[in-house]
Amino acid sequence: MIASKLGYYSLLLGFAISSFLLFYSLNSFKKKKLSIGSNLVSVMSIQLFSVFLSFVSLIYCFLISDFSNETVYNNSHTTKPIFYKISGSWGNHEGSLLLWLLVLTLFIFLFVIFSKKQPIKYRFLTIFFQQLIITGFFLFLILTSNPFNLLLPVPKEGLGLNPILQDPALAIHPPILYLGYVGTSIIFSASLSSLVNKNVNSDWAKHVKKWTLLTWVFLTIGILLGSIWAYYELGWGGFWFWDPVENVSLIPWLCLTALLHTLTVLEKRNLLKSWTMILSIATFTFSMSGTFLVRSGILNSVHTFANDPERGIFILTFLFILVFLSVILFFSYQENDKNAQNQIHVFSRETSILVNNWFMMYFLSVVLIGTIYPIFIEVLINEKISIGPPFYNKLLIPFLIPFLIFMSIGPNFRWIKDNFKKINYLRIFLFIICLSLSYFIIKDTSLSILISTIFGGSAIYLFLTTVKDLFRKKLLIAQSISHFGFSLFILSILFNSIFSNEFSANMKIGEEFKYKNESIKFLNLKTFEKDNYKSLVANFEIVNSNSSVSMFPEVRIYNEPNILTSEADIITSVFADKFIVMNLIKGEEIFNVRYQTKPFMIWIWMSTILIALGGLVSLFKKKYE
Amino acid sequence: MKIFKIFFFIFCFFYIFNITSHVQANQDVDKISKNLRCLICQGQSVYDSQSDFALTIKMLIKNKLQEGESEDEIYDYLKTLYGEWIVYDPEFNKKNLLLWVFPLILFIFGGLLIYKKVFINEHRK
Repeated sequence: MIASKLGYYSLLLGFAISSFLLFYSLNSFKKKKLSIGSNLVSVMSIQLFSVFLSFVSLIYCFLISDFSNETVYNNSHTTKPIFYKISGSWGNHEGSLLLWLLVLTLFIFLFVIFSKKQPIKYRFLTIFFQQLIITGFFLFLILTSNPFNLLLPVPKEGLGLNPILQDPALAIHPPILYLGYVGTSIIFSASLSSLVNKNVNSDWAKHVKKWTLLTWVFLTIGILLGSIWAYYELGWGGFWFWDPVENVSLIPWLCLTALLHTLTVLEKRNLLKSWTMILSIATFTFSMSGTFLVRSGILNSVHTFANDPERGIFILTFLFILVFLSVILFFSYQENDKNAQNQIHVFSRETSILVNNWFMMYFLSVVLIGTIYPIFIEVLINEKISIGPPFYNKLLIPFLIPFLIFMSIGPNFRWIKDNFKKINYLRIFLFIICLSLSYFIIKDTSLSILISTIFGGSAIYLFLTTVKDLFRKKLLIAQSISHFGFSLFILSILFNSIFSNEFSANMKIGEEFKYKNESIKFLNLKTFEKDNYKSLVANFEIVNSNSSVSMFPEVRIYNEPNILTSEADIITSVFADKFIVMNLIKGEEIFNVRYQTKPFMIWIWMSTILIALGGLVSLFKKKYE
Repeated sequence: MKIFKIFFFIFCFFYIFNITSHVQANQDVDKISKNLRCLICQGQSVYDSQSDFALTIKMLIKNKLQEGESEDEIYDYLKTLYGEWIVYDPEFNKKNLLLWVFPLILFIFGGLLIYKKVFINEHRK
C-alpha cells in the first residue's frame, strides 16, 4: 500500500519536473539566456531518480505480492518464484510503460552529462524536445495506464503471470530491447534540435553516431533475446515468425542500420544532411507507431496485452503531434547542401552507402506494408487477410541476392572517388566458384535449383569477402566484424532452412518410431508437483548409427492461470541442434511428439552477437579511418 | 533505358521465383499446414498449434491429399470455407495490388533518386 502511494507520488513529482523543464526552457529561449548549470543537471537527476523510485516501488509491490495494487493483482501470484515476480513488473502494459519512461529519462540525463562539448543551444533544444516526449508519456501513464491503482477490498490472491512469459531470456528481453527501442528517442530529439540550431555537420554526425551505435547494439541484442526465447519456449522450433510484434522491432532496426551507414557519409563528406534527418526522425516515429499498433490491440499477436481503445487513441494523437512537429521543423529549417564539393562519384563509398540505404528502405517497406496492410484492408473493405512467411520470402529473397553481392563489393570502394577496377576478373572467377559450390550443396535437396544456387552462391561469396576483410582491414575492424557477422548470419539461416529435418507423430509410452537413419523411443514419463505448476517430464532415446542420446521434453500445467506450456529439450552442438517437444493430446497418455534436427542454430545466435559486437567495438574505439 | 533494365530484372526474379516455387511443391501435410493460420489461436499456424481446430484441419489436409487433390486445390477449398484469413500467403489480386506493388514502386523511386544524385551530378561536371 505504502509502496504504491510512494510510486504514484514520485511519478507525479517526475511529471511536475518535466513540465517545469519545458516551461523553463521556453522561458530561457525567450530571454535568450541559455545556460546548463549544475542546477539544471540536478533537477534532471531528481527527475530520473523519481521515475527510478517509482519503478522500484512497483518492483517492490510485485516482490511482496501486494495485491492492493491492481497491476500486481492482474499479473502476479504468491506461488511464483522471486525472479519472475520481479520480471513480472515489466511483463505487463503499465509496468512496461513505466520502464519506457525510465529509459526516456535515463537517456536525456546521460545525454546532458556526455554532451558538454556540444553547442549550448543545441543541448538546450535537445532537452526541450526530449522533455516534450517525456511529458507526453507521463500524461499517458498517469491518465490511462497508472501502474499504482489501488484495489479495495484487497484480494487474497493474484491472477498470475502468463506462464510463457516466465522465462529467463524473456525476463531480461524487455529492458534490453527498450534501451534500444526507446533509446532512439534521443536520436530523434538530437536531430530535431540540430536542425533548428543548424549544426547538422560532420561534428554533429560524429557525436550522434555514438548514440546511434549504443541504441543499435541494445536493439540488436534485444531482438536476439526475443528470438532465442521464441525458439525454445513457443515450441515451434523456429526463431522468426514474421509476427507483427517482431516486425515492429525489426522496422526501427532497419531504419537505424540505414542511419548508421548514412551518418558515416555525413561525418566524412558533410553530405546527405536532409536524408540523415529523415532517417533519424523516422526511426523513433517507427518505434512509437509500433507501440501504438501493439498497445491499441489492433494487431493480432502473441505479444498483445489487455487492450484498451482509449490508450490507442492517446498514443495515436501524441504520435500525430510529434510527426506534425517534426515535419514542420524539417521543412522550415532544412538546408540544401548545394556546395562545390557536393559531388558523389559513381564508384565511391558514398554511392555504395546510398545503395545500402536503398535496399534497407526496400526491406523496411516490405516489412512495414506486410504488417499494416491487413489493418487497412479490414477497415476499408471489411475483409481479413493474413500475411505470413510466404509473402516475405517472395518479396525479400529476390532482393537479398543483389544486396549480398553489393555488400561484398561496396565496402571496398574508397571515399570520394575510386575506379571500376574493383570489379576485376579475379572476383568474377571467385563468384563463379562460389556458385558452383552452392550448386553442389543444394542439388540434392528439394529446393528450387536456380534461385537457391544464386542465393547460396552470393551468400558464400559475401562470406569469403568478409572473412578476407576481417583479416586485412585493421582500421575498419568494427565494420568488418559486423559485416562478417551478417554474412555468417545469412549463411547459417540458409543452411538451417535447407538442412532442417523434422519428424512428428502421436506416441504412447513405450512406442518407437524410425525416421531416416534415427530411431526415437518413448521410454517413460514422470510427474512432478511444483509450487506453481505440475510437470510431466518424458524420457526419449534418440538412437542413430553411432550414438544414442536421452532427451527430456516437458509439459507444464500451470495452476494460476491454468495454462499448458511445452518446454522443449534442446541439445546444442557446433553443427546442429537436436530439438524435441511434446504436447498433450487427450488425457495424459498420448502425446504429439515433434523431433527436429536444426543445423547451425548456434551460429545464428553467435553471428547476431558478432553483428552487435561490431557496434560495441566502434563505440569504444577512439580512432577510426 | 536503365530503368527498363531494372524493371526487367525485377520481373525476371519474380517470374523465376514463382515458377520454381510451384515446381518444388512437395505434397506434404506439414508444408501445407505451415501456410495456414490457426483461426482460434493467437498468431500461430495450424502446423504449430495443437488445438482441436488445428488437428481437424490437419486431418482434413491428409484426407484431401490421399484423395489426390493438389496443394492449391486444398488452399482454395479452405478459403471458401473460412475466407482468405486462413492462408498466410495473400493472393495477388486487385485488392492486394498495393501490398505487392508498393515496395517495388518505392524501390524504383529510390533507384531514380540515387541515379539523379550520382549520375546527373557526374554529367554536370
